[in-house]
Amino acid sequence: MESTSTAALDRFDRPAGLKLATTTVILAAAGVALACGLLVAFWVAPTDASTLGFSQKIFYFHAPIAETALLAYGVAFVAAVLYLRREDAKYDRLGVAAVRLGLVFSVLVLVTGSIWGKAAWGVWWAWDARLTTFLIACLLYAGYFVLRGTVEDDSRRATYAALFAIVAFVDVPITFFATRLLPAGLHPVVLGPQGSGMAARDLVAFLISMAGMTLLFVGLLRIELGIEALREELRDLKYRLGS
Amino acid sequence: MAFRQFRALLRKDIVSELRTREMIASMFLFVVLAMIIFHYAFTVHAGSSSSSSGDLSLFAGGMLWVVFVFGALLGLNRSFVHEKDEGCLDGLLLCPVDRVIIFLAKMTANLIFLGLIQVLAVPVFVVIFASGRVATHLPAFLALIVLADLGIAALGTLLATISMNTRARDLLLPILFLPLAIPLLIAAASGTSTVFSGAAGGGSLLARLAFLLVYDGVFLVLAYGTYDFAIGE
Repeated sequence: MESTSTAALDRFDRPAGLKLATTTVILAAAGVALACGLLVAFWVAPTDASTLGFSQKIFYFHAPIAETALLAYGVAFVAAVLYLRREDAKYDRLGVAAVRLGLVFSVLVLVTGSIWGKAAWGVWWAWDARLTTFLIACLLYAGYFVLRGTVEDDSRRATYAALFAIVAFVDVPITFFATRLLPAGLHPVVLGPQGSGMAARDLVAFLISMAGMTLLFVGLLRIELGIEALREELRDLKYRLGS
Repeated sequence: MAFRQFRALLRKDIVSELRTREMIASMFLFVVLAMIIFHYAFTVHAGSSSSSSGDLSLFAGGMLWVVFVFGALLGLNRSFVHEKDEGCLDGLLLCPVDRVIIFLAKMTANLIFLGLIQVLAVPVFVVIFASGRVATHLPAFLALIVLADLGIAALGTLLATISMNTRARDLLLPILFLPLAIPLLIAAASGTSTVFSGAAGGGSLLARLAFLLVYDGVFLVLAYGTYDFAIGE
């Protein structure tokens, strides 16, 4: 008994999932890119000529967050498909980690969108297609965690979570198109059929912020994955100590 | 072979419902009660003159689909409870039947029950809320109802299967189902409003029908592809 628990504790020192050095580098790069993005956005990119004016600066934050949230849900979708095909618990961990981050980023989208909405449109909330889609995505993926909490068996939980992640991911664009059925909203179309609609300097700021936000997501995802692996290990240890 | 299995499973659901009629009766009562509650909830604004109070035809499309989505939830929750509690599901899973056929039979049963409720409730609704206005786009309205019902039944049956296998059971279904049903609700409610307003909104009505068709197709394919995993071993 004594020897097995110390062996397990030895393993605990170097858990497989938490490669902190690489993660630190990624997060540092994310920090640098985000800081550069802000600098370029505030000092290089021209202030918006339309009515948006200075408030448009939040765009360099808001849009990358939104796209990263969608990226997170995309990762969760791929992980879900892989889980259903291979039934490997690591894809389930990837799915949870991605959905959790997606949810955090979605809430940030709503908050920054709300702030921008107040500045640009004079209201904190408008039932605009994209904001509404994110609100519904938040509720959907919050349901994902409720679902996980109500299944005890590990493989069952992973299977249902994967199923729901697939259904939810498919639903997000459908929701977006459904809200488009209603009269047009107030949202600016940034990347439309007429090209990016941004000057070169704006685009640079946007792309740097976008890269930074993506790196931040990757770094956080690695940490989340490490935490999930640790959590599983902890449960294993508890189980072995208990029996 | 597959069709015979499908027919047998569907027959089982219909016969067992006809023996008790508890699901249809409670769904219908719920739908009528919800209509009455809507009437009073939305006509109590202070200082309303007697002429304007009670005319909710503007909101009729939305109310109709709120009532049906919630009514459908009631039925969907029930649809698997007996199977699970009485061990019927275990028997079904032991049978050499494709899981997808179980899904299709269950979905069809749910679709039939929902349709039955609507046959009874829609005329009542039109009389109460749309002031007896005859729909100008009657065929389109019927198509709208059928397509929306199909979406509710397909998605609802898949999610009901998942939720009945969890600890929370009927608590979970609305949480999973409602956010996914919002696109359907938007299309169905706005389409129905066009119908009730009697406006010449034929084009937009067609767009909503096309949207519902895509929605149904997507979730039918999804349910078809994933039902093996949902129903379990």
